Order: sequence, then structure tokens, then C-alpha cells
Amino acid sequence: MGVKVTSLTRGYGKVRVLEGLDMDVESGSIYGLLGPSGCGKTTLLNVILGFLSPDSGKVNVLDENAKVPGSDVGYAPQELALYLDLSIHETLLFHGRLHGMSTESIAEREKWLMEFLDLPDIQRQVGKLSGGQKRRVSLAVALLHEPRLLLLDEPTVGVDPELRARIWEHLRKITEDGTTVVLTTHYIDEAGKADRVGLMRNGILLAESSPKELMAEHGEDSLEAVFLALCKREVVV
Amino acid sequence: MNWGRVKAIAARKFASIRRDHRTFAFIVIMPAIQILLFGFAIGANPSGLEVITIGEHPVIDSLSDSDHLIVEAGIGLEESLSEVEEGQAWAVIESNGTALKVHLDASNQQVMQTIISEIRQALEETSPALPLEIAEPIHGEEEPEFIDFLAPGIMVLVCFMFSVILTTMAFVGERNDGTLSRLFAAGVQPSEILLGHLTAFSVILVGQVAVVIAIAVGVFDIPMKGSLTLLFALGLLLGWAAMCLGLFLSTKAKSEFQAMQLVMPILFPVLLLSGILWPVEALPIILREISLVLPSTWAAESFRSIMMRGWGLSAPLIWQSFLIVFSFGVLMLFAAAKSLKMRS
Repeated sequence: MGVKVTSLTRGYGKVRVLEGLDMDVESGSIYGLLGPSGCGKTTLLNVILGFLSPDSGKVNVLDENAKVPGSDVGYAPQELALYLDLSIHETLLFHGRLHGMSTESIAEREKWLMEFLDLPDIQRQVGKLSGGQKRRVSLAVALLHEPRLLLLDEPTVGVDPELRARIWEHLRKITEDGTTVVLTTHYIDEAGKADRVGLMRNGILLAESSPKELMAEHGEDSLEAVFLALCKREVVV
Repeated sequence: MNWGRVKAIAARKFASIRRDHRTFAFIVIMPAIQILLFGFAIGANPSGLEVITIGEHPVIDSLSDSDHLIVEAGIGLEESLSEVEEGQAWAVIESNGTALKVHLDASNQQVMQTIISEIRQALEETSPALPLEIAEPIHGEEEPEFIDFLAPGIMVLVCFMFSVILTTMAFVGERNDGTLSRLFAAGVQPSEILLGHLTAFSVILVGQVAVVIAIAVGVFDIPMKGSLTLLFALGLLLGWAAMCLGLFLSTKAKSEFQAMQLVMPILFPVLLLSGILWPVEALPIILREISLVLPSTWAAESFRSIMMRGWGLSAPLIWQSFLIVFSFGVLMLFAAAKSLKMRS
């Protein structure tokens, strides 16, 4: 199993953020969560991560023995969430140690990630990197320990198109090995590359399906148009 | 508890502290400056006090040797009194040959006490037949100075204050920039984060306490009758407990400004109610009760007793202090762990 969320509600005080949300992420797939800011995406991720407990409803993540939070999940928050005074090397070393990785396997992964994410010299201080480079270091931290589940909150903001394509290629590859990826994005065209897309608004998923099915079902030729149509319909109801 | 994670967090935090030169200077130099300033500014007896004498008396002759007074012979009583009136002198000492009469400007109590004490001493020297003899003190010096009382308290204050300030900022940035969330996502427990921070800060604490004790004993020559090791151990324990308090405050603060707002109402009672500047015995009864639950009160009294009285761990006050300060630290640590969990 990947991630299965059933009639999840969760609020802060009197404000309801998630209102009976259902979500089904298949194991070994990429799931794109699309929606405006304030729709509850981050709250949903926090529930999946186990930071927040549901007010009602059920959340199943991976299997019963899954270490989430723990080494089975790789999480890249929307904020960069990096220690700016550490070097890239120290950053990876720190997170690797948190996951109990050996120095050798950290070094091995580091070498691969540096190349793959086209990162600068490992001794460079994170605080002095450009926005896009920081974003890639953040991604490297999430990928470092090869978790079974990746939760990426806006992972490709500020990353150039070529690298974004490479990241997607890599995500595609690791899903073939059984990794499950849930990512949030603002880029509608990017969401179109996911296996399944959830269109989120006001604490529920308006629709959840593969991009092709969504477009066919609503007779539109882009996800953006589908989203727009769904929003309008909601207002009428 | 996963010690590998604690170690990783401690190493990460320590690297940050070491690299942040400004903070590093702040925690190493500020306590030293503070204790030096306190030592020089407060507690020494005032000197260069001008007094006017009228008439002849052996006491008046003896007073002219005083380190604290500048003695001048006056012309007449009226003129001399008006000089005190105008603030030119602090006192007029009038003699008719046998008895002495002192006219004081009592607007400054410390100055007044110094003058009276000088006169009393001169009196003892010149007429040893007084029916009062002060025997050699059981604890403390023959001529105790206020700084001997003050210094142990200030040492406690400095150990406490800088540990709190240092740790209160710990999580403020980390919550806002998401790094704390990332730790939690990796399965790190709040207790592991707290212990990691404490370990990193402890390295600084050792230096801080050592500097404070070295300056007090070395520069200000405060008597040190008891065990230096015991004093050092209590200083470390107090600093550690204060760090636990600081970490707890840090879990509550959303911004640096809020952190400062939380620190201020803590530091003032500690300064004023712990018997640091003035004896606890002088407090109104309700404040005295509050004073008794502050770990700093116990630490200050114990510092004083170790240094002046030479008491060891077997003295009830000392071991009780260790116990109370330790319990306070543990309590704060649990509170911090709970608060950090809730905020995640």
C-alpha cells in the first residue's frame, strides 16, 4: 500500500482545514497534489507524516511496520529547512547520521546526489548558495536515505526546466523500484506528469484520477481547464 | 532514546555555535565583563569621604590614618555644619575634649555606615577599655566587605543568566525555517533534540563557569575556604538547569522578540529574590516563600557557604541545593520535551 486517507477531518481550534478528505496513493506511483495555497495541502502532509493526528477519519501509510515519521519517509518541507551555516557535506552527513547510515554509505549517496542534482562543491556553505541550489540540497536530504515514501512540498520551485526534467526522470525511476512519491505543486503542467492527480480545494479533493482520465471525463484539453470547471461547479452547488 | 541521533544533533549544534563568532564572543566575553563590572562597581567600601573635625581628641588623631576618610580640621562649628549642608563634606565630628558628637549627612546610607564604622574602629583603637569585644568570626573575614557577600551571588546570577539567554533562542529560528519539522519527519524524538542541544551547550558552560570562578577568586580575591571542585560542580549544575529552563522557554517563543519577553520576567525575580543583592532574610514574607522555590536562591546561599564557610557536601544546605537545582533542571527538561512535542 502507498498512502490511503479515508474521510479525514482535521482543524485547528474551530477552523476546519480538512473536511472529510479521501485520497488514494498507489504504492510505487507519483501522486501530484494540486491546489491553491491555503487549501490544506500542508496540513494533509502533516497528517500523513504523523505530526498531526486526525480529528476523525483514517490514514494508512505504507504498511504496519512503516517508520513514518522515521527512516521510511523522505520529507522536503516547503521552506528550505536547511541549516544555513553548514556546508553541503555537513548537511548530508548530519541527516545521514540521523537515519543511522554508515559514513561509507553516506559518502556513496553524497557522490551520486551531487552529480545527479548538479550541486556545487560539497564544501560550499548552504547559506551562500542560490535559491535553486538550496532547493536541490533540500531535495538531496529527502532522497539521501532512499526512503520508501517521498513527501515533497513544492520540490521544484526555482529549479531550472532542464533539472526539473531530470528530477522527474529520477522520481519516475525510483517509483519503478517501488518508491511512492507524493508531491505538491503549483505548476499545473508538472502535475500532468504524475500518475495520479488530486485537485484540492477548501479541504477536500474535488477530483482524483490520472491526468488523462480527468481531462477525458470533463471534456477539457488541459488540467487547468478541468480545475476551473470543477471550481465553478462547486460554487453553483 | 537513540544516542546516535543525540550525538548527530549535538555535533551539528556545536559546529553552528563555533562558527557563529559573535555569539561565541558573547557567551565567553560577556560573563567575564559582567562579573568584572559588578566586582569593581558594587560592594567596595566608599573612600575619599571628606569629614570635618572640631576640637582635639585621640579618636580624631586616629581617624586621620583612615583609608576611607579625608579629615580636615574645621574653623568653627557653624561654618563646618554649613559646609555639610552645602554638600562639601559628609560629616562634622565635634569634640569637647572628652566626648564626641557626630553630625552626619545621612542621605547616603552606605557613606554614613562607612563613616560610623571608621569612628567606631578609631574608638576601639584609642580606648581599648570598651566593655565589648568582637571575637574572631566563626565564618568569614575579620573585616568583611560587602563584595564578599555579593560576589557568590553575582557568580550565580551570571551562570544562570547567560545559560538562559543562550538557550532561549535555540528553537526560535528552527521552527520557522522548517528544520525542526525535518528532524521530526526523520523520527527524531523531542527528548533527543533537547539532549543534543544540552550536550553542545555544555561545552560552553564548562568554560563559562570556569571563567566566572577564576575571576571571582583570582581578580577579586574572594575568600575560598571550601572545595573548588564542589563550587565548580554546583556552578555547572546550575548552568545546566538554567539551560533546561531556557530550552523550555524556547519551545514557547514564536519569535526572538517573544523569547526576550519571556526571559525578562524570569531574570528580574532571580536577580532580586534570590538573595543575590540583599539578604533573603530582609524580604517580606510572601516574597520569601517565592524566593525559596527559586533554584538560584539555593545556589547563591550554597556558593556563599562553600566559599565563606567552607562547607562541604555533607552540610544539609549544600546537598539539598544540589538536589533542588537538579530537580528543577529535570522538571524543565520534561516540560520542554512535552511542549516541543505539542508544537510539532
